[in-house]
Amino acid sequence: MAQLTPKERVMRFLKKEPIDTMPFFSGMGMVVMPGIKKLGVNFASVHTDAQRMAMSAIWSSKLMGFDCVVIPYDMTMESEAMGNEISLYADSEDILYPTIPEKIWKTLDDPKIPTDITKMGRLPIVAEAIKIIKKEAPEYPVGCWQLGPFTQSGQIMELDILLKAVFKQKAKVESILDQLTDMIINTGKFLQDAGCDYITLREPGAAADLLSPRTFNDLIKPRLTRILGAWKSPKLLHMCGKTEPLLEMMAQCGADGITVDINCNVKKGREILGNDTLFMGNMDTYKMTCDPETPEQTTIEHVKEIIDSGIDAVMPGCDIWPDIKEENMLAAVKTTHEYGKKPSPAVGRI
Amino acid sequence: MATREELLKDLHEGVVQYEDERVTTAAQQIVDQGYEALDAIMNGLAAGMEEVGELYDRQEYFVPEVLMCADALYAGLAILRPHMPEDSSKINAQVVIGSIQGDVHDIGKNLVKMMFDVAGWKVHDLGRDVPLESFVEKQLDTNAEVVAMSAMMTTTMLGMKKVIAMVKEKNPDCLIMLGGAPVTKDVANLFGADGYADSAGNAVSEGIKMISRLREFQK
Repeated sequence: MAQLTPKERVMRFLKKEPIDTMPFFSGMGMVVMPGIKKLGVNFASVHTDAQRMAMSAIWSSKLMGFDCVVIPYDMTMESEAMGNEISLYADSEDILYPTIPEKIWKTLDDPKIPTDITKMGRLPIVAEAIKIIKKEAPEYPVGCWQLGPFTQSGQIMELDILLKAVFKQKAKVESILDQLTDMIINTGKFLQDAGCDYITLREPGAAADLLSPRTFNDLIKPRLTRILGAWKSPKLLHMCGKTEPLLEMMAQCGADGITVDINCNVKKGREILGNDTLFMGNMDTYKMTCDPETPEQTTIEHVKEIIDSGIDAVMPGCDIWPDIKEENMLAAVKTTHEYGKKPSPAVGRI
Repeated sequence: MATREELLKDLHEGVVQYEDERVTTAAQQIVDQGYEALDAIMNGLAAGMEEVGELYDRQEYFVPEVLMCADALYAGLAILRPHMPEDSSKINAQVVIGSIQGDVHDIGKNLVKMMFDVAGWKVHDLGRDVPLESFVEKQLDTNAEVVAMSAMMTTTMLGMKKVIAMVKEKNPDCLIMLGGAPVTKDVANLFGADGYADSAGNAVSEGIKMISRLREFQK
């Protein structure tokens, strides 16, 4: 059978249908400097312009051999739409993602979260960028993502206020999380309606090195379940940090697949999840693809080890840091495609 | 009248059980009854925080609990600190601390700051999203012994390397401490830093362990 296109490969993979080889794709940012340089623009400008966002994503994937494009790139879009100002660091020589320097809501009583923010801020740009990608590069699946309610709450308020309130003012925290859950459901549907092919729910703020598994089960899991239940497939759930104690609960949230980062022992993770769950991860996105001191061979061995640990697809554990060491990035993708020809636990081969 | 031991126990347990009122009441009694403030800080508040660190390591406490314990500790510190005789602290060191430009996360940074506060250091907290040059300028202004920087994201971590180079060029004796999720021992070595904590969790753990070492030193 002829080789599959990246889109065919990823979409079949996400349905656990047999594929030709393991895809190298992600639910998180994959824009890299070679793709941005190809456009001749600076990093800050790819967040605010649909054409630049779309084309930098496409070029990043074309040059590196990724099996998807993922937009948007920064975590401030929804918070900005809700009224917060962002720092774009337009004049910085460094690669800095937009941040929210000062949040407008200072206390737990302040947030008034609109359910529909899709016409506000930069959200319309993302829908436009999806359409451009579909037209210019139909061979790629378009991945989009939303932060989970707890992580998103840290974009609209100071996280320490929320963390302390988890015990002392639980009802107020729950109210904020519920409002955010509605907003996230709606925004995800908007991205899916705009043509996104798969969506990832990212909830790194609730990892087991920050919150207890009991709090995760009580406060976070019901809301992740509600969001994933409202979105259509394919949909993934990503967490980074310490996730082993949470994997079983993550698998019960209703996602089509689970993705983790370098802090998770994926071999143990596979034992916890069993062979039927799509399980992806956990490439080290600094050491293996950015650190100028890391030899290409080290990255190759890292990728092989991940595959041998029983993962279904090698996935960066976080946003790829854009200033990659190109030869290592290319080697990671090539190794995934070549070494990933044999079936993985949840996905067969053609 | 409560004994010294009883009051130290109240400070210790008040911190562990994040009972601000118990801590402030005991701290006030320490002052009123003329007990030593430094003793109360080290053997009451800091000892309590040391147990918090152990609870965190054993995964009985998580970040919300640690933050509440820190609040209780600060409530006690606010009462006791003004009553420390000028010469009672052997440490007159200074630290410049902040989260690096591009990073608005500061929970880990604030916990490490607490460690310096408890130990009686003069802390110059630059806040978060701090331009690289500001670390260098502040260090030169104050001649601080330590510059402590935090970055929660890989994307901002690289700025640390530049700050280290700038600080070390002007003041090779200044110690640099790095913290934050993407910072590993390898990265710290590569950048030329003198110490590191590799996650918000480790900042908690490492910060508290440094308090323990300072308490040992004090004995």
